[in-house]
Amino acid sequence: MSALGAILAREARLAWAGGGGPAGPAAFFLGAITLAPLAIGPAADLLVAVGPGIMGFAALLSVLQSADRLFGDDHVDGTAELYLLSGVSLPGLVLAKVLGQASATLWPLPVIGLFGALMYGVPVLPACVGALALLAAIPALSLIAGFAGALAAGVRRSGLLIALIATPMMVPVLIFAAGAGRSALAGDERALANLLLTIAVSLATAALAPFGIVAAVRSRMG
Amino acid sequence: MLTTTAIFPDLPAFRPEKTRVSGLSLSRGDLTLVRDFSLDLGPGEAVLMSGPNGTGKTTLLRAIAGFVRPDEGRVSFGAGPEPASSADCVAWLGHADGLKSVETPRQALRFWAQMGGQGRSAILPLLRAMAIESLIDRPVSRLSRGQQRRCALVRVALANRPVWLLDEPAGPLDGGGRTRLADLVAWHRSRGGSVIAATHQLLDWSDARRIDLGAHR
Repeated sequence: MSALGAILAREARLAWAGGGGPAGPAAFFLGAITLAPLAIGPAADLLVAVGPGIMGFAALLSVLQSADRLFGDDHVDGTAELYLLSGVSLPGLVLAKVLGQASATLWPLPVIGLFGALMYGVPVLPACVGALALLAAIPALSLIAGFAGALAAGVRRSGLLIALIATPMMVPVLIFAAGAGRSALAGDERALANLLLTIAVSLATAALAPFGIVAAVRSRMG
Repeated sequence: MLTTTAIFPDLPAFRPEKTRVSGLSLSRGDLTLVRDFSLDLGPGEAVLMSGPNGTGKTTLLRAIAGFVRPDEGRVSFGAGPEPASSADCVAWLGHADGLKSVETPRQALRFWAQMGGQGRSAILPLLRAMAIESLIDRPVSRLSRGQQRRCALVRVALANRPVWLLDEPAGPLDGGGRTRLADLVAWHRSRGGSVIAATHQLLDWSDARRIDLGAHR
């Protein structure tokens, strides 16, 4: 257990030291939700209607933005081999690694999502539900991004491959997370159902994705 | 036989393991690199594999470590009815040193000590044995290649595993570094450990077996 704690702490430290911690995803997210209204137009009722959806969509893109580093760096600098020989349970290891990095880099997303939705004119309650849904979606999004990153580790232009692999897999969690905010805005009770489904997808991903990531890391070794 | 006055720490004893490679064949694409390679390595023994570039030294080491699946043959560790896996008994040094450029040797070595369930007390003596104890708090990005390799060798020793697989361990090392590497290996063998190293340099390890991989194609 202490080994998994060490991995969690190290990933968080590396994210702060090497990649500016949460600055990258936060800046990307902020940029996306600031630019979207300029393209959509200034109609207030339209912005309220698209607010929850834009938050979910922009959060998804900002998770993808740093996906190449998580397993790509380990592949290049030889850390991946050491992990395979570490004797630590590998699915647990990659889960700790992904969640360690996610907790260090992605925590601003629900906060920005909350204030972004409020600025789009979304009322407080739906904005909070949307932010909660983003929080619930982060494990699924980061694990899917990690899986795609592990498959693309060491490939040139891995960003392209990651986008092609990860975006289709992120469809369910995007639908449920954005749907939670939209249902809350419309005032129907499906908001809670969507929120619970987002959590369910995150839990299922946490149970399955680590095995896929381990297989991907091994296959990239050959 | 130690040539410098390096003092090595008292690590907890490990169980010495035999390494048995039998009938290994490896290829890259349709190019056969190694054919029917066999090797028996007991505790305290060392093997130096040499051969021109591209003969498959690295691939063979990676197959022994279990990173690549051989076309034929098998690798086993331990002699008992329950063979150990490479994740139990191999300490690995690859082409890349496995260091993060933003970490300091102190952070990196503490992390790997914790991963391997080892104490921290051996870190400083081992750094001293490799003569890089003054660099313990300098980020890896500001260490030279040779210094990084010395730090990676400390990590290998810190793992306290019986079988060391080293890929070009002396590549970036200077004369003093090679002497200290030889001492480190001698210390490891004196504890019952074994070493397989791929190298194209002439390493002066006492009674190490030498294998020319060029002959196995």
